[in-house]
Amino acid sequence: MDYFIKVIKESIIVVIISSLIGILSGTFLSTNENILSTIPFILLLLPAINSLIGDISTIMISRLTTHLLIGSIPPSIKKSKRLIEDFIGLLLTILLSLAVLLIVGHIITYSTDISLVNPIEIEIIIILTIIIMFGLIFFMMFISSIFLFKRGKDPNNFLIPFITSLIDFLNPFLIIVFITIFI
Amino acid sequence: MEREDSRFTIVKEIFPSETLSIMGSVLAGLILSLIILEFKSFPILILLIPALLSLRGNISSPFIARTAKDLIIGQFNKRNIAENILSTYLLAIITAFLIGIFTLIINIFIFKFNYFSNELFILIPLISMLFTLSLVITISILLNSVVFKFGLDPNNIIPPIMTGIGEFFNVVFFYLTLILLGVP
Repeated sequence: MDYFIKVIKESIIVVIISSLIGILSGTFLSTNENILSTIPFILLLLPAINSLIGDISTIMISRLTTHLLIGSIPPSIKKSKRLIEDFIGLLLTILLSLAVLLIVGHIITYSTDISLVNPIEIEIIIILTIIIMFGLIFFMMFISSIFLFKRGKDPNNFLIPFITSLIDFLNPFLIIVFITIFI
Repeated sequence: MEREDSRFTIVKEIFPSETLSIMGSVLAGLILSLIILEFKSFPILILLIPALLSLRGNISSPFIARTAKDLIIGQFNKRNIAENILSTYLLAIITAFLIGIFTLIINIFIFKFNYFSNELFILIPLISMLFTLSLVITISILLNSVVFKFGLDPNNIIPPIMTGIGEFFNVVFFYLTLILLGVP
């Protein structure tokens, strides 16, 4: 039962903390319901924006873990060809996916009569949020993966639950802050 | 399986599945707002929903990543699969229970809604999460194995597809649980 015990031991605390962040996120969203209800385009896309950054972060962490295990990335905080290729590849993917997300959002908006307030400002806010989150998460996850790997832990078990919940909270937080500043 | 993915290989493998994920998430959002909004207890359900969506991601994403890692490093055997599944269920049960307890505490001290009995705060996340995980675990093991057999990296392809599938069915099973428990 070594595998079972390792998974439970490494995951339990972080999963509980992450779920608490999830509850905080729900409370934060309901207290800012007025901002979100006046700009329903954000409300419509928020789950998909969370999923997009969450997916890319999960892929980033699982790739970093695999690279560290098979030795294609050295367990030290320094630039490598593999790391740069992963950074550029994931950045290109997130930008392309974001374009798809915005197009799908517009199609749904027009076909369901959801009002579109300040579309250009909203799009800039979404793009800005995604880029800031991506840069922040990539460097944070790279350093954390190496730290955990060096201590014999599986970064998948620690970082994925933590980062997905942090994204669920930070994403709406950044979007609401930007809306308050720019609109 | 050691591969040297270029930046374009990464885009080529992740982008199509990410597009599917986006579709699933948008669909889940639409279903959520169309169906769950109709419930009388919506003000308290909306407090549970972000935590539940988050929990599914927190539990199933590491499961998928561990399965992919086991395949790549050659440790994908019956024993590891069984222990991976068991630990995932145990984590889900503990966390869903705690989500219910914390939401109940928040409701008692902050919102003070009285739409349904206290035990439903625990039963709703627990039952809907067990339904969702049973489906997500089965599909992700199958997809991981198939993708790996075709010489592709499951890390790149499976997580986004499973997010789309997982989010969609999470909402569907959440709705079915509400119906099953007779939530107003």
